[in-house]
Amino acid sequence: MYNLHLSPEQLEFRDTVRDFVEDEVKPVTLKADRLDLSDRTLPVEVLRKASQIGLRTLALPEDLGGVGADALTSCIVTEELAVGDTDVAAVLAETSALGQRLFGAMTPEQRERFGAAFLEDDDYHLALACREPDDDSALGINYHRPTAEMRLATAAARDGDHWIVNGAKDCIANATVAKLIAVEAQTDKGAALFLVPRESVGLTITEQPEPRWYHGSCGRLSLEGVRVPAANLLGISGALDPGRAAPLAQALNLGIGRAAYEAALEYAGLRVQGGRRIVEHQAIGTKLAEIAIRLDIARTAIWRAAWASDHPGPFADRSLPDLPLTTIAKVFTAETIYRAAKDAAECFGAMGVMRDMPLQKYIHDALICLHTGDGNADDKLRIAEALVNHRRTQPMLAAE
Amino acid sequence: MDFSLSNEQRNWQMTARKFAEEQIKPITLDLDEAPHAHGTFDWDIVEKGSKLGFRTMAVPKEFGGEGTDYVTQALVMAELARGDSAISKTFSQNWKWSHLISAACNDEQKERFLRPFVADHRFLLGKGITEPTAGSDNRLPPKDAPKSGLKLRAERHGDQWILNGEKCFIANAPVGKLFFIDARTDPNAPLRQGTTMFLVPYDTPGFRIGKVFNKSGWRFYRNGEMIFENARVPHINVVGQVGTSDMKTALAGDRTGGDLFGDLELAANALGVCDDACEQAMKHARTAKQGGQVLFEQQNVQLKINKMNMLTEALRSMVMRVAWEHDHKVHSANAGLAMNYSTDVIQEVTELNLEIHGGAGARVARHAEKLVRDAFIWSHLAGDTVQRLKVAARLARMAAH
Repeated sequence: MYNLHLSPEQLEFRDTVRDFVEDEVKPVTLKADRLDLSDRTLPVEVLRKASQIGLRTLALPEDLGGVGADALTSCIVTEELAVGDTDVAAVLAETSALGQRLFGAMTPEQRERFGAAFLEDDDYHLALACREPDDDSALGINYHRPTAEMRLATAAARDGDHWIVNGAKDCIANATVAKLIAVEAQTDKGAALFLVPRESVGLTITEQPEPRWYHGSCGRLSLEGVRVPAANLLGISGALDPGRAAPLAQALNLGIGRAAYEAALEYAGLRVQGGRRIVEHQAIGTKLAEIAIRLDIARTAIWRAAWASDHPGPFADRSLPDLPLTTIAKVFTAETIYRAAKDAAECFGAMGVMRDMPLQKYIHDALICLHTGDGNADDKLRIAEALVNHRRTQPMLAAE
Repeated sequence: MDFSLSNEQRNWQMTARKFAEEQIKPITLDLDEAPHAHGTFDWDIVEKGSKLGFRTMAVPKEFGGEGTDYVTQALVMAELARGDSAISKTFSQNWKWSHLISAACNDEQKERFLRPFVADHRFLLGKGITEPTAGSDNRLPPKDAPKSGLKLRAERHGDQWILNGEKCFIANAPVGKLFFIDARTDPNAPLRQGTTMFLVPYDTPGFRIGKVFNKSGWRFYRNGEMIFENARVPHINVVGQVGTSDMKTALAGDRTGGDLFGDLELAANALGVCDDACEQAMKHARTAKQGGQVLFEQQNVQLKINKMNMLTEALRSMVMRVAWEHDHKVHSANAGLAMNYSTDVIQEVTELNLEIHGGAGARVARHAEKLVRDAFIWSHLAGDTVQRLKVAARLARMAAH
């Protein structure tokens, strides 16, 4: 069985989001000022409009008021959004995925308390706060060696019908825009997730300090005696298996490559040097072909990992190899899109390095993906361990 | 074979190394992070370097310059680039055009322009070739489109030439005091026969600087537009003869169409950046810890450091060989090949350095990231693919002889 048709809904989603990016995103994000990395601010109005067409609650199940999109559809949407702007794509992908995960794990009573506000408020975003300052989550030196048990420094102590949470979190996606944050903290029975509203007393959120080395929103949390009702304890753990998670960050990475490719293709069809349009020169034509090859293979890997993240069956019956397909897609996409963005920029000559032009931004954006989490070198070690079925007794902390 | 340096060469190298370490390195990261193009430049470092001779390295001694050989120039460019690639380029850009003045200008022009250039620590040089519609076409004029290439028009009126048009992406434009400007004096002739080179001082009536470009790398190195609106240039400022724009290479003794100094310049500068990256990578790998052990304990890190040094040392061999060949008037395509090779090497070496520093995710080292942006310039301001095609054409011509 092999079927490469997207469903009519998926095709419609792609076209709708593509139009949205053309009409609503690019006019804002491709302005010269915003292309300069030192002047990047979140386009709040664009995020609001995206929410109004359902992209904030894309993966939230339909019975909870969301669109109920699967991982593949979410990847298609994230790629399209990232063609217009990586920050918009990153914030929406995070809230959409967490909407599915957090609301899916809530008790009916918790949904009752948080659901209505989440659905109604176009500015309501979500965050998951696991990473702590000085976290050394890299596999690196621990390759094929046991790792020490991780204990979170952020601690929750029971006090009647409340928990008192103290600690700090670092590099938390969506921190500056989230109205509800799932904070991972150590209890006497192990790590647990607590739903912490933004306005909680004792919670301070600050923007991640420079250099700006992330997509979307990122920040630090300081928790000083934050009183969280016992009813806000969530019944799931923080870490997902990054090898099998939906490859949304990779779809975003692919969108960066698409943006660079589309810009280069357009320019190569307009710019005349050497007596003809530069697309008619072998050197440029071959470069464009190589970029197209990279994009196509990356998308194939991402879509396969996305589909597999929703369908464990093919692993069980050995239709798919027992490998971390999302990590494989991550390594390939990060390397190939960085190269593609550089090649695309080269078609622009000197304009490829000007800060009020888009190409330097695409390269920087692709470089961020290349160094996300603990980097590709570390991910290759994770894949290498999986190749020989090396099992870790203690799960590694989830990489970004 | 003798790879040793003379005492004089060694002294220049050490002076440049000390200057880069003590004067350039402390200011380079802050200048690199200035938000606007105007904040990236610093006249103070130009003056300090100029007082040590770094601005006038290539001016003959009889005009008050340093009169150094190519080997010395390569050594100094690399050492300065070890501190900051763009600051090194800001100095060596003057060598490129002082080579041109020495080779192509008449005695009266040398007196009129070289003397004030040597005397003024803030006197920088530039050259305007590229225009909005003419980039690659000036470097590699197409046979089947003879009218392509630069359009800036120069028309003669008695003892004056009137220039109209614009130049784009011109290095040192916003800070230079004297520019070589290629202008079309016969719009009906092909580029090489219809173009004339003029000496244009910055305060020429009708000439002004337009937009100042804000680049992602090489930020210290200024770059801007030049606007000519009935700019009046005296006929005595014509370089060589009317309609002989390629004299810059022909009179420099290079009849292959290449740019004798420019190719070596980029390769030597890249070498300095690679040296900086190797040094940083080793320092970080030997001090930064992961899981209680220094990074260097890991095979992946060792292999990256090996590759960085392997590529850097291969580049060094090529750069020094080309410099020696220039000093001994050996003509080959090696300078072009070294420049092409340096583009690949500088990008790979700085990217590996960033990987070694990048294990900590968001806390990536500023310095390592800057080098990647600086290295990226090699694919752009030098016109990477076009330069490779030019070198291939030269190799073909050599094979035909």
